[in-house]
Amino acid sequence: MAYSEKLIEHYENPKNVGALDKEDPEVGTGLVGAPACGDVMRLQIKVKDGIIEDAKFKTFGCGSAIASSSLATEWLKGKTVDEAETIKNSMIAEELNLPPVKIHCSVLAEDAIKSAIADFRSKQSARRTLASEPEAQGATPRAAE
Amino acid sequence: MNDPFATLGVEPRFGLDLRAVEQRHRELSRTLHPDRYAGAPAAERRLALGRAIEVNEAWRVLRDPIRRAEALVALAGVTLREEAAPKADPAFLMEIMELREELSEVARKKDRGRLAALAGQVRAREEKALGALGALLDSGGDDAKGAAKDVEKALPHLAELKYFRRFLDEVSAIEEDLTDALP
Repeated sequence: MAYSEKLIEHYENPKNVGALDKEDPEVGTGLVGAPACGDVMRLQIKVKDGIIEDAKFKTFGCGSAIASSSLATEWLKGKTVDEAETIKNSMIAEELNLPPVKIHCSVLAEDAIKSAIADFRSKQSARRTLASEPEAQGATPRAAE
Repeated sequence: MNDPFATLGVEPRFGLDLRAVEQRHRELSRTLHPDRYAGAPAAERRLALGRAIEVNEAWRVLRDPIRRAEALVALAGVTLREEAAPKADPAFLMEIMELREELSEVARKKDRGRLAALAGQVRAREEKALGALGALLDSGGDDAKGAAKDVEKALPHLAELKYFRRFLDEVSAIEEDLTDALP
């Protein structure tokens, strides 16, 4: 048999399809594409107190790409951001028993996770910079003395 | 892969007179036709058959702008591996994502007018990318190094074309569905 039951289940009934507000500072959005086939994947996480409380995806691509991103969102929920970062494409490929020609779909899902985390982190550090600006201004004259 | 330009004996460039290339393919196919080798020794027949297959495949590559561009990139010594491909510009991916979302909305609503408009919009983008791709692939550069640089610069356009093609394939599938659904 070419495709595993888990893969078919995620393809037929994908979990967590949809969108989160990408302007929300607690939301990280990852947007990736596969140049070889022209597929695009968007994966978003919403982080509260360091825990991923929600994850959504939208994938325009083949069944394996849809199943990979669906599984990824399932795995992300409830994890810390650091834990989420340890998800590897090989874990997704193994869980779904992806055929070799479809391994790149799991790579795309891993890239999407990494890109969503990077977006979330850059939003957080931008916020911290903003919040610490008055302090920094106060510190400047002293540093100049 | 064999060099499809050499197989058909045409100049390796993106901008080709496809009618002339097709003519060339037809002539070669005729001379290699199995009927002409009916009385020939088995080895010779096999050779002719192998060559006929090569000629057909070369024509399939050259008639398709994406595959033609990939053949030129390969000839320039640039390897096209997915991991090595330049990452698409985030703004471009965002645009493709939005176009795909709109397309699925249009399919759901069976809005033929909007479908045609979207297809037209993407076809115009495709034309533009093909133009940019062709100009870079055929630039020749100031020297060999300049030409190789231009090939590298052409790669993002080639990647964009794949997203456009994927989109337009989807449009065709939706059009077919809508036609089948006609009373």
